[in-house]
Amino acid sequence: MFPDLSMPPGLSASIDTLLSKQNQDGGWPYRSPNASCSPNASRSPTARVRGRSWTEPTAYAVLALLAAGETGAARKGLGWILSAKRPDGGWPPQIGIDESTWVTALVALLPPEQLGSSVHARAIAWLLATCGEESSFGYRLRQWLLGSRRLAGQQSPGWPWVPGAAAWVGPTSIAILALDKENRRKPSPEIQKRIESGRQFLLGRMCGEGGWNHGSLRGAGYETRPYPETTGMALAALRGVVSPKVDRALAVARSFLDECRSADALNWLRLGLLAHGQLPEGFCPAAPVAYRTLPETSLALLVAGGQRGREFFWG
Amino acid sequence: MKPKFTRREWLAATLATSGGAAVLAGCGKSLPMAPSTVSIVRAPAYDPRIYETMRRILEDHRVDVRGRSVVLKPNLVEFEPGSSINTHPLLVHAAWEAFQARGASSVRIAEGPGHRRNTLDLADAAGYFEVIPHFEDLFVDLNLDDVTRVRPSRQFSRLEKLYLPNTALDADLLVSMPKMKTHHWTGATLAMKNLFGVVPGGVYGWPKNPLHWAGIEECIADLHAAFPRQFAIVDGIVGMEGDGPIQGVPKPVGVLVAGHDPVAVDATCCRIMHIDPYKIGYLRLAAGDADSHILEQNIRQTGENIADVATPFALPHAL
Repeated sequence: MFPDLSMPPGLSASIDTLLSKQNQDGGWPYRSPNASCSPNASRSPTARVRGRSWTEPTAYAVLALLAAGETGAARKGLGWILSAKRPDGGWPPQIGIDESTWVTALVALLPPEQLGSSVHARAIAWLLATCGEESSFGYRLRQWLLGSRRLAGQQSPGWPWVPGAAAWVGPTSIAILALDKENRRKPSPEIQKRIESGRQFLLGRMCGEGGWNHGSLRGAGYETRPYPETTGMALAALRGVVSPKVDRALAVARSFLDECRSADALNWLRLGLLAHGQLPEGFCPAAPVAYRTLPETSLALLVAGGQRGREFFWG
Repeated sequence: MKPKFTRREWLAATLATSGGAAVLAGCGKSLPMAPSTVSIVRAPAYDPRIYETMRRILEDHRVDVRGRSVVLKPNLVEFEPGSSINTHPLLVHAAWEAFQARGASSVRIAEGPGHRRNTLDLADAAGYFEVIPHFEDLFVDLNLDDVTRVRPSRQFSRLEKLYLPNTALDADLLVSMPKMKTHHWTGATLAMKNLFGVVPGGVYGWPKNPLHWAGIEECIADLHAAFPRQFAIVDGIVGMEGDGPIQGVPKPVGVLVAGHDPVAVDATCCRIMHIDPYKIGYLRLAAGDADSHILEQNIRQTGENIADVATPFALPHAL
C-alpha cells in the first residue's frame, strides 16, 4: 500500500496549465511561449520557446488529464497521438520525423481502451521487436567474426532512444514500465522475458556507488556517477525486484531526495521510491521547485495525484 | 523585414573558411589560400575585465551583426563543483553584451546537453541563472527546439540526413563558445566538437548515440558543414586537461581564442595545448586537404603569439 500523498497546493493550477497550453492540433509542446509551466512562476513575453506538439509531452499530458478526469482535453490529445502513429506501429518524437523511437513506450502506457486495442497491441509489438543495437544478431555476429570482446549488458537487451543505436537507462526504464503494465493486464511469456532481460540490463548498468546515470559505467574511461532522475526512473522500472543492488540504489535515491532541486528529478525519485514503498511519509521538497517543462507538470500530477495517477504507470 | 546577409557576403565568408577552401582544393587546382584570422587574447581570470576583452575581440575581427540574429552556443555538459567542465557563464554574458552592443537584432543563448535531460536545472547549477540576468528568457533548450531535416553541404558520416534545431539553423551567426578541453575519444573538444550540442536530444536521445554509431569524427565534420555562418570564441581562461571532457583537471591557460573559421581556431588551440592538430581526426576531415587552415602558414595570427601562451596539456589516451 502506498502512502497517500496530500494534494500539493498547485495541483489544480497545474491542470489549468495543461489545459491552457494544449495546441490547436490537440498535442502539447515541451514548453510554451509566454507562460510558465508552474503556477507560481512568471515568464517574460520575450521568452524564446517554441510551441509545436511533440509526442512525449502529449503522452504525459494525456495520462495526467485522464487521471484528473479531464476527458475532453485528453480525448483531443489522443487524437493528435493517433494522427502521429507510424506504419511500423511505433511513434516518432514529432510529426514529420520519419522514424519511430523510444516515445512509443510512453504511448504504450496509455490505456488500450483509450488508444484503441489494436493500435496499443502494435505499440507493444514494436517495443518487443526493438532492442539496443549491441544486442542485435547482426552486431553480435560481426563481433564474433572480428574476435571482439563482448560488451556489458549485451546478453540482456535493453532499449535504445532510436533504433540502430545502443540501449540506455532512460528508454529501457520506460519500455519496462509499459511492458510490465501490459503484462499485468494480459500476461505473456514473451513480454515477461523482455521485462526480465531489461531489468538485468538496468542492474548491469548501475553505477558503482549505486543509482544510475544515462547508462554509462565507464563511458569515457572513468567511474561515472549517478543522476537523480535516471535513478528514480530505473527504480520505478525495477518495482517488485528485491536485491542488494536495489537496496543500494534506494539509499542513493533517498539521499538525492534531500538535496534535489529539479522538478524532473524529484518526480522520478518520488515515483521510484514509491514503487518500492520507500518514499518518506508526507515528503515535501526542502526548497521551492521550478516546473520548467510541461512533462514535468504532467508527471508531478501523476505522481502526486494519488493512487489513480500512479496506476497509469503500473496498472 | 529582418536584414539578411547577401549572397555575395556569404560567398566571401564561405571562401574564407576551410569549407570553401576545401571545395576549391577539391577541384584539383592550386589556388592561393586566403589566410584565416585567429586572435589569441590574454584573459587572466573570470572577472569584469572580460567584458572589455570581448568587445575588443569582436572589433578586431570586424564582426558585423547589425540587424542580424546571433545564437551563442556555450558548452554545458555536467555540473561538478570546482570543475572546469562548462563554459564560464561570465564569458557567455560578456559575449551577449558585446554582440548586443554591435547592433545584433537578437542575441540568444542555446545549448542541448548530451547526458542530462533537465537542461535548465543544469544551467542553474552551473551558475548561468545567477550571472546572466533574465537567463531563462534568453535561453533556448536545443534538445527540445523544433527541428528541420537537412542534408549538410558536405557529408562525411553515413547519416543521410540530420534533424537540426531551427534556432541554430535560422541564426545569421552561430557562435561556438566551447571550453578548451582534452577529450577521451576525440583528443580535443573545441569549437567544432561543441556543435554536438546543437543536435537535438528530443530526436536523437540522451546521449545522442546515433551519431556515435555513425562515427563521432565524421559527424563533427558533418555538423561543421551544416553551419557555414559561424564565429568561435574558445574559453581557455581555465581549460581542462587529462581525462576530459568531464573528469579532467582544471588547466589555467589565461587566453581566449577567436575567429570566423572553426578549423583554424581549433588548430590554433591545439597548438596552444601542445597537441598536433593533424592528430585530431575531425580537423583533418573538415579541412579536407593538406593545404588547409590547419596549417599554421594559412592562419593569420593576431594578438599573442602561440609560443608565448602555449602550455602542455596532459593528454587523454586517445592521443
